[in-house]
Amino acid sequence: MTNPMRDNQITTDPSKPAQRMRAGSMSTKVLPWVIAGAALLVLPFVFTNNSAITIMNQMAITIIFALAYNMLLGQGGMLSFGHAVYAGVGGFACMHVMSNTEFFAMLPLPALPIFGGLFGMGLAMIIGSFSTRSAGTVFAMISLGVGELIAACSVIIVAFFGGEEGVSGNRTYAMPFFGNEFLQQIDVYYLIAFWLMVSALLMYLFSRTPIGRMANAVRDNPERAEFLGYSSRWVRYYSFIFSGFFAGIAGGLFAINYEIVTEENLNTASSGVILLVTFLGGVGFFFGPIIGAIAFTLLQTVLSLQTELWAFYAGALFLATVMFFPGGLAGLLMMHVPAIKLGNASKLVVPYITTLIPAFIGIMGVSALVEMTFHVRHSSVGDEEMTVFWTTFNSHDLLPWAVAIGVTVVAFGIMRKMLPSLRAAWADANTSKGGAA
Amino acid sequence: MTTAALELIDLRKSFGKTEIIRGVNLAVGESERHAIIGPNGAGKSTLFNLITGRFPQTSGEVRLHGNNLAGKAPFEINRMGLSRSFQITNIFPKMTVFENVRCSLLWSLGYKYNFWSMVGRSRDLTEGAEQILDQINLLNRRDLPAGTLSYAEQRALEIGITIAGGADVIMLDEPTAGMSHSETDYIVELIRTVTVGKTLIMVEHDMGVVFGLADRISVLVYGELIATGRPEDVRADPKVQEAYLGAALEAEH
Repeated sequence: MTNPMRDNQITTDPSKPAQRMRAGSMSTKVLPWVIAGAALLVLPFVFTNNSAITIMNQMAITIIFALAYNMLLGQGGMLSFGHAVYAGVGGFACMHVMSNTEFFAMLPLPALPIFGGLFGMGLAMIIGSFSTRSAGTVFAMISLGVGELIAACSVIIVAFFGGEEGVSGNRTYAMPFFGNEFLQQIDVYYLIAFWLMVSALLMYLFSRTPIGRMANAVRDNPERAEFLGYSSRWVRYYSFIFSGFFAGIAGGLFAINYEIVTEENLNTASSGVILLVTFLGGVGFFFGPIIGAIAFTLLQTVLSLQTELWAFYAGALFLATVMFFPGGLAGLLMMHVPAIKLGNASKLVVPYITTLIPAFIGIMGVSALVEMTFHVRHSSVGDEEMTVFWTTFNSHDLLPWAVAIGVTVVAFGIMRKMLPSLRAAWADANTSKGGAA
Repeated sequence: MTTAALELIDLRKSFGKTEIIRGVNLAVGESERHAIIGPNGAGKSTLFNLITGRFPQTSGEVRLHGNNLAGKAPFEINRMGLSRSFQITNIFPKMTVFENVRCSLLWSLGYKYNFWSMVGRSRDLTEGAEQILDQINLLNRRDLPAGTLSYAEQRALEIGITIAGGADVIMLDEPTAGMSHSETDYIVELIRTVTVGKTLIMVEHDMGVVFGLADRISVLVYGELIATGRPEDVRADPKVQEAYLGAALEAEH
């Protein structure tokens, strides 16, 4: 019997692929975790001031939340518009544990987030029991409805949600943990960093378990998964519960860090933010949400000191990601792997510089125009002086406008001129020397 | 007499007022290779979907090893030992070829909804999946995303996924649809080797494909079985020649 498919295949050694995979995998899998752990330990010595540590705390909490969210969106194919609910409820639960002074005095603070996780998980078990029946639009709509419902409860069930002012507490009443009462931001930093490592590792390992693999299978093709003996619904339900747990951990850490949890922590706006963060980072890779959380927190904290319009820029960035880089920042990075493997990465350097510098100047020009428009429309009468990019000028003069428009048009013009050379370089870099890749 | 591997008893299915499957009776024995053929629109795929629980039947019974399948979800039917492929290739295109097969082994190797062991470290999974890949000759496509395979390779992978779970009743829905002659020969040979000792039920449009493969053939025309028997007998049956081959000849002209 002839075998038409086998004849024209390049024959590697078919007896050894498994061993080959395993041999190289150990070091490449452990290394990123070691680096991440070391970085978390060292970072506070690099960025020593309190505001930097506050930003890093917020970043770490957002990373956990975004990773939890991606268990649904990226790995399970469930688009949730109400995931802040699980983090928020976890946060509220932790605040109530804090308020129970007698119990709290016997509990070391690092154990507190577990309560957040359990409450997030408990709620996810209830909501998931009906919301995970199907993925797609039905799931998205239920998540939105539940999100609104629980956010509305915050003003109805005041005993738990504390009404409009929320619930506040004091983390230092916890049982001292090896003499540490977590008075300093830096102490809290290490607590959060510990939980970040533990949660991220557990979430990663989850994706390697049978149920984690089947979550991918159900995402790609629920019907086929059913004919392999798995109930799509149960697979989704498990992912949902685990995601709720880690969202609750993030909420608990939020409670520890800020010592106050309000309705804002679980409303639809917060749910929208975490969707944005996750998508910005990239849903297709495990580390995507980590990058997204770092980038977004920087935008939120650093950029918001520079401009009131930071949310405008964040929105524009999100839009650009969805339209041009649906793989997110992680996808953008991983696009370069083939070129690097072929040893052609250097071919991209010059075209990148000649294209991205004008693009960057063009974006600066646009943002200058946005800031000037904002200034003209919103500054008080008589206040005509403004500063953009270290340049102070009168926003009502014609010259700055002419300069900004000129720079923008010329810069984007140059960028467009350069794009073909970048495309050519890209194609070249992704082609191996022996012909087609 | 032993119980049939699969038995259909007066199976009927209506979509609205239109009756698509009009009382099908069929018993397929253990280790039998049975082909269901019929012209386009005869209801072959609908019959398949009824058996595998994709649609609920209007009336009648489907029995797998004597157990009634009424009201069972596809995943439950699969766990009872029936596995199927699809007419339109139905794999996990974004996952690697290896991963596709490994996923299809998980349930049968008892992993169920396990969230505490690592699939990468389970030797039974890795070895089992590679054994299947070897059987379907895709071992050297192991780490490619399944969606990038050629059409015939994807069909082979789908057969691999279907048999991987160790089900003893295998149902294949037009496994050679859209293939060239040499590809068809290849797939038929593949089906022959991977279904040794198992019960095979396959739907085919082309009678030539199943002739050398099937132990028995049933002919489905307008939702009714007009003949069941050994290939030679079915081919010689005047009713079949009239209804099926006649229609096929018409289509060719």
